[in-house]
Order: sequence, then C-alpha cells, then structure tokens
Amino acid sequence: MSIIQRRWTPEQADEWTKEDWMAIVLSPLAYMLITVGVAMAIMLRPVGFILLVAGGVITVVMHLIIDPKLKVISAEYEKNQKRYLEELDRRVRWEKSA
Amino acid sequence: MVTFHTLDWIWVIAFLVLMIGAGALFVHLGRRSESDFFLAGRGLPWWLPASSVYATHTATDTPMWVTGVIYRYGLAGIWYTFFSAWCAISAFVSTRIFRRSLAYTQAEWNTLRFGGLGAELLRGWISGWQVFMNMFILGWVGMAMGKVCNYMFGWEIWIGLVVFSAVCAIYVLAAGYWGVVMADFQQGVIALAVILIVSFWGIGVAGGPAVIVEKLGDLGQSWRLNPFAFTGWWQGDFPVAWFITMLVIALLGGFGMGTSIDWYAEAQRIQSARTVRDASYSIWWGTALVLIRNSVWAAAVLAFFVMFPNITEAADYELGWFRLGFDYLPVGMVGFFFAAILAIHLSTISTHLNLGALYATRDLYHHYFRPQASQRELIWVGRMTTLILLLGSFLYGLMMEEITSWLIFALWIMAAGIWLPNILQVLWWRFNSWGYLASWIANLGLSWLVVWILPALGVIPDLQDYQQFWLLMILGAMVYLPVTFLTRPENMDHLVKYYVMSRPLGFWGPVKREAQLRGLLGKSTAPIAGVSKEG
Repeated sequence: MSIIQRRWTPEQADEWTKEDWMAIVLSPLAYMLITVGVAMAIMLRPVGFILLVAGGVITVVMHLIIDPKLKVISAEYEKNQKRYLEELDRRVRWEKSA
Repeated sequence: MVTFHTLDWIWVIAFLVLMIGAGALFVHLGRRSESDFFLAGRGLPWWLPASSVYATHTATDTPMWVTGVIYRYGLAGIWYTFFSAWCAISAFVSTRIFRRSLAYTQAEWNTLRFGGLGAELLRGWISGWQVFMNMFILGWVGMAMGKVCNYMFGWEIWIGLVVFSAVCAIYVLAAGYWGVVMADFQQGVIALAVILIVSFWGIGVAGGPAVIVEKLGDLGQSWRLNPFAFTGWWQGDFPVAWFITMLVIALLGGFGMGTSIDWYAEAQRIQSARTVRDASYSIWWGTALVLIRNSVWAAAVLAFFVMFPNITEAADYELGWFRLGFDYLPVGMVGFFFAAILAIHLSTISTHLNLGALYATRDLYHHYFRPQASQRELIWVGRMTTLILLLGSFLYGLMMEEITSWLIFALWIMAAGIWLPNILQVLWWRFNSWGYLASWIANLGLSWLVVWILPALGVIPDLQDYQQFWLLMILGAMVYLPVTFLTRPENMDHLVKYYVMSRPLGFWGPVKREAQLRGLLGKSTAPIAGVSKEG
C-alpha cells in the first residue's frame, strides 16, 4: 500500500484525508521558501538559490499529492452543480424547496 | 515632474484602447445573465482568475507600501507582505468549501451555513458593509492614482482620481466581470513585465547584486540581507512575537472565510472558476505570483537603499521603486512604465467596482427588494450600482485625507476580533448565527476600548498591533462563546443540507451522522432530494 493515494472513488475523495493535510502543511512551506528564496537569489546569495529550489520541489510534490484527489472531487461535484444552483435560485427568490 | 515624449504617449493611448476594447469584445457575454455579469458564468479555467487575483492585489499604492517596509526593515520587512499567504491553506480548505456552496458572495454563504433570522441579519449586514468597503477602497486607490499623476504631471489630484477610474468604468459597465477578468489578464501580464524590467533595471543602475551587497557592508547595513533580522523576541517595533502573530493570522486564517479583507474579492474569483480544482489552483497560483512580485520589489528596494541610504521621511522613501522607473528608465520606456501603473490601477478599480455592485445587486436588490426580478433587470441594476459606486468613490477619495486614520481603524477592527469566529463558522457545526453576530457587535465595542479608550484613560498601556490582536481575540471569545451556547444550534435540516453540499472540514460529527442516517452520503447523485423542508 503506497503512502500517497493516487486513485480515488468519488466517495473517498469527498472525505478529508491525510493527503489534504499534507497539502495544508506543504503549501505554506512552499510559499515561505519561494518568498525568501526569490529575494535572496536575486541578490545572488547561495542560500537563496537553495531555498528557491526547495520551494519549487515542495510545490511539485504538493501538486502530485493533491491533484488526483481534486480532479475526482471536481468531476463528481459537477454532476450535482446544476441541482445545487436551482436550489440556490429558489432561496434567493424566497421559494420553498422542492 | 516627469517629461513625456511622443513614444511615451503612444504607449499610454495604446494601452487604454486595448483595455476599453476588451470590454467591448465581451459585452455580449456579460449581459447574458446575473451569473455572467458577476461570475463569468462560473466557467473560467484556473489561470484566468489566478491572473485576476494577482492583478487585483497589485494596486497603485502597493509598491509604495512594500518599498516603505523594506526600506525600513530590510528583507525582514518582506514578512509584512506575507499576510496574503492565508491563501496557502485556503486554496485547499476554505476555497474548496466555498466553491462547493455555489454562493455568489460571502453574504449569501451566510444564509447557506446559518438559517432563520440570524442568517438574514448577517447577510444584510455583510452585504451593506461590503458595498461601503468597496466604495472606500475605490476612493483610497483612486486617491493614490491622483497623487501619482500629481507627482508626474503636476495635475490637480482630483483629475487622476476621476479620469482613470471613469475610463475603467466603461468596460466594467459594459461587460461586468467578463470585462474585469479579461482586462485583468492583460493588465497582469503588462504589470508583471514592467515590475521585472524596472526592478532589474534599478538593480543594474545600483551596480548589480554583488555591488549592492558590498555597499550594504560598507554602510554597516548587512543585516538588511537577513530576512529574519528582528528587533528581539518582544522588544522593539519588529519583534519575533509580531512575526509569530503574523504567521498565525495569515496561515491559520486560511481555514476560515473572511479572515482577510482580501477574502471577499477572492471569493468572487473562486466562484468564477469552472471547477473546485480550478478554484483551488487559481487562488494558490495567483497568490504565489503576488509573493514572488513582493520579493522582486524587495530586492529592487535594497538597490534603491544603497543609492539613497539616508532618507528619513517615509513619504519620500516610499516612492523609491517609482523613482527607479521614472528617474532611470531610458526615453520612450517611461510611457510604458506609466501604462503599467495604469494597468495596476485599473485592475484594482475594476475589481472593486464589480464586487461592490455584486453585493448591492445579488444580496440587497435581488434577495430583499425584487426576488422575482428578471435577468435583464438584474444586469441593469448591476450597471446602475456600478455607476453609483464610481460616483461615491470620487466623494470618498476627495475627503480621504481627513478620514484615513478612522478608516484604517475600521479595517483593523474588522479583522482582529472576528478572526477566530470567521474560522469557527467554517469548522464547527455548533457555532451559530447569533454567536457570529455577537462577535461582530462585541468586536466593534471592544476594539474602541482596547485601541482608543482604555489607553487614553490610563487603564491599559498603549499596546502594539499584535498585542491588541491577541487581547481582542480573548475578550471577544468571552462574549460570543456564551452567546453560542445559550442559543439554540442551527436547524439540523439546514445544517445537513449545507453539509452534504459543501462537505466542510472540522468538527461536524453530529451533522455528518445525521446525513448518513438519512442516506444522503455515499449517494452522490442525489444529495439534496432527501432533505426535508425547513420548519
């Protein structure tokens, strides 16, 4: 069994799993490394290039982890979107639900 | 004053024609429906709202602000600009939850999350507040443009305020959000290109990175290259305690909705994305670009510092990045630089014109005044409210000098005491509309006490911003938590309906179990049908 789940059913993807928490942790880390890395790399500081590369690698890893899940969530949700929008329209017009 | 040559004016005119042309091109799409006028029909690929996030958050006063903190604190000042990193977590939490709700606005989301009178009170309050805030931001940003034009051409300040906002209104009135987002894409590209050109040109003028580092050493200012050069753990005006508070506010804020004033503009971009995945990536990459831009600016400001190390007046050194462009770019490029400043300006103006009109049209007019309004009528109301916002922003802008300090206070109090409630409303099923309303009301009073009245009476000392934040958070919780527990939970039918649609993260156990009991989970093709009417 792999550490990262790559294949999802719609029901599995709807749940909050460790893949979401990995993205939640990696995402701010990537932002911090990129922010500091870009500024210091422009100043030709060696540590800046290291931080920038690390930020890039973490960004790629984060997307590899979360993207398969987001794809399944999106595909499944689009099936329901029309019905949800009809419900939303009824609410804004103060109509009773069907 | 800056001297413009023929080529400079050609740049500016070509750019304005391009922007207005973009509005004309998309006018047919914008007038199809309310959804098109305000959300581009919820059909955009991620990179379009991402470019809009980036362009919107690059305003005329942004380079002044970034220049100010970097000039003052060196690279450590970059953390002042890191507040936008709330999107790091939001992209995968609150963005996903909000996009699934399909609410047009945050105010509308409140009536999906909460029910009954409390929810309607919240919707009315938040939509009214957003109409006001967008008009205020339009005035503020317009005023910054007036000052730039005054510096460049010697124009009266009202001319820069009125002319370019009015030009922007042409394509916003015509094409609504379609015009905004398409123009934002072009403006984002132009603005990014010019930010890179001017910044690297300035670094070159200062002698290049190696020379800048060497000069900083000669000046005894090498600490400016350290992004973690704080003034101590607690002491000084830039301590580690501030840094940690900023990280908490920015990063954990991504679990909530409305923890940053920028959320409301982002929420519109989230809903305009064609899928949940597109929404997440639009927020993540748009903000990544904002952070990269800030870092490029920071490096350029270090270049400006070694060229002019002894400026003491903030009003002078805040113009540092602009000076790199206007004073050192070659002839013909100054017009291109001004065109980019226009791009920066118009992208922010267009967003807030359309966003303010969205709250006025969808939440106030459509929901409360004319629920049966036709799509055609709603689009015209959208256009009328856009025009009203534009005219109102002129008034705000012209009186801005007198009211800025009060409105900055208004911004602060809207952020501090309701930061945690904004998270709780997303993560905790038991948090109800009365608790959330109580937090807004309590925060209004407590902020005045903590920031103004108690220090003036000598009851508490003058506190730094980060200390005020923690105090307001604790005092606020002492009001809204009792109110929440003393009032009834939201109607379970309502909560189940919201849960099945949005699938929120956090403490939703009782609601999830109820949804499972009703057979609504795991049957993703029929989630709404089995939910009974609300009592």
